[in-house]
Amino acid sequence: MPADTRALRVMIVDDESPARSLLREYLAAEPGVEVAGECTNGFEAVKAIGEHTPDLVLLDVQMPKLDGFEVLELLERPPAVVFVTAYDEYALKAFEVHAVDYVLKPVSRERLAEALAHARARLAGEGNAPSAPSAASLAASARAPGQFVERILVKDGAKVHVIPVQRLDWIEAQDDYAAIHSEGRMHLKPRPLAEVSAGLDPDRFVRIHRSYVLNIERLARIEPLAKDSRVAILHDGRQLPVSRAGFARLKELL
Amino acid sequence: MHPLLAGRLRSALYFGLWLGMGVALATLLVLLEPRPIWHAVVFVGPLTAIYASICLSAWYVCRSHPLGTTEPARLIVGLAISALQASVIWVGIGGLWALALSRFAHIGPDRAGILRDLGVLFVAAVVLYGQSIAVHYVLLAFESARVAERRVLESQVTAREAELRALRAQINPHFLFNSLNSISALAGSQPENARRMCQLLGDFLRLSLALGARERVAFAEELALAERYLAIEQVRFGARLGVETEIEPGARACLVPPLLIQPLIENAVKHGVADRVEGGVVRIEAQRKEGALVIGVENPRDPEAPPRRGQGLGLQNVRQRLQALDPQHSRVDVFSGPEHFRVRVTLPAVEAERSAAAEAEPARPAAAPAAERAVSGAAGPATGRRPIERHAG
Repeated sequence: MPADTRALRVMIVDDESPARSLLREYLAAEPGVEVAGECTNGFEAVKAIGEHTPDLVLLDVQMPKLDGFEVLELLERPPAVVFVTAYDEYALKAFEVHAVDYVLKPVSRERLAEALAHARARLAGEGNAPSAPSAASLAASARAPGQFVERILVKDGAKVHVIPVQRLDWIEAQDDYAAIHSEGRMHLKPRPLAEVSAGLDPDRFVRIHRSYVLNIERLARIEPLAKDSRVAILHDGRQLPVSRAGFARLKELL
Repeated sequence: MHPLLAGRLRSALYFGLWLGMGVALATLLVLLEPRPIWHAVVFVGPLTAIYASICLSAWYVCRSHPLGTTEPARLIVGLAISALQASVIWVGIGGLWALALSRFAHIGPDRAGILRDLGVLFVAAVVLYGQSIAVHYVLLAFESARVAERRVLESQVTAREAELRALRAQINPHFLFNSLNSISALAGSQPENARRMCQLLGDFLRLSLALGARERVAFAEELALAERYLAIEQVRFGARLGVETEIEPGARACLVPPLLIQPLIENAVKHGVADRVEGGVVRIEAQRKEGALVIGVENPRDPEAPPRRGQGLGLQNVRQRLQALDPQHSRVDVFSGPEHFRVRVTLPAVEAERSAAAEAEPARPAAAPAAERAVSGAAGPATGRRPIERHAG
């Protein structure tokens, strides 16, 4: 943790060059601040934040490929985050994912200094603070009603897989991981199944079993297996177990 | 003006009906007391014409006793009094006419016969006046329905116009905030560019306010606005935003609704440039073809980008406006390929009057002779190798 003696290491993430240079200029004038790097899009940011572990990220929201919230969701140990954006409508969502501050463009020197002070205070107090809920679950809860996740992001080493939900076949719970099956491949996401499936459209993705969430477009038919248990046959012939409650949910939908 | 006399056809129909009534009445009199038919016709004919006119007064009676709002007692009494008045007047005239006929032309029955005839006339008068009241109430109902319908249509048109005005005047606030942030950045390191940006932004605002207040503008003015907008965005996005324009000289003078293509250009920058790491080229073209002005706006797209909320809004706006202005001769076509997105707007090529066309290009020096073609901003793959791969489906 940065004590008073250590510089605050800040990373700038914004796809617009003038916006980055403004932040860089302001930060250069702040005592005890060191710019740890600059990124121009979400993919770069996920990689660079993982490698350089800055104390604080100044994060734009609207960027190519991954937006600011998606970047945050992909980080295993997210640093303190200050959102810097021209849009005021994400403020609520930002605080729900525990952003330190939310600064609107055009950015003033004073406002940025204030945000840095908030970040220092947050980082100083973090040692004894209870661990925050995961960014992903908060991002899901912050989603407006009627809006569903359109893609699922999985980090695989330095790679980020973007899986549009229409290409998603089914998700299987594997302890604390969710195994995401899409187009014959399996991706492991280090989050529980309930959290990964929370933002999915319940009319398209059904929890057919305690451990399985199925894209109903993949379902070919349901066959009885034994008393009170059934099996879902997918279009590719694969079979998944269906619980009694899961069958009730399926019936309601079909 | 009485509605039944408002048109020739209606008047003819009305008096034709009364002709039938007259014939029926004459027949009735002949049946009740045998006489030469022409005696009855001479007696009843003029009287029927007079009563046809008297019955028109039912219109004013009906209007002063609206059905829904008049108390039933007042309604019945009012209508009965006017029916009796009309009948008494008519029968009075009938009596005088019968006397005149018998004294001067020796036509018609004796005194007792005349009294019986007048009795028949009175009954017929009350019944006919009642029918006239019924017909007039039906007419009134039709009329009020038509007025209500027109009022609804008028209010719809007013609402649509207000909506269009609001849409036209709309300037995306985030564009302003981001531009101001860029100016703020340039002010420190590149003050000259900051000044240029202020100039561009000022021009853009002035132009969009001026254009938005008008009904129609020359396409050249619309283009001038788009050029300012794109120049400002080029400061923000740098080499990521390329711009290509290919405008046929004849297209410039054509009139278009103001700020029609601005939302399309804003969309093109957002989806074709802002949402792509490598950016892209926004291409604007315009031609005149067989009496139509054809405007195209094209941008590259990320085939894997999910459909975003609000994406269709700008397009919908353009469609609605053209629909409201000239649905038969204008259209919007969308070509959505895997790599490119193109919108083509077709509308009638109407040129301004001479004077208006002259002022259409205030800031523009004499344009290049042939189809003007401009390219700015290199949009090559500026970022080079991508550090992180994407999941390729």
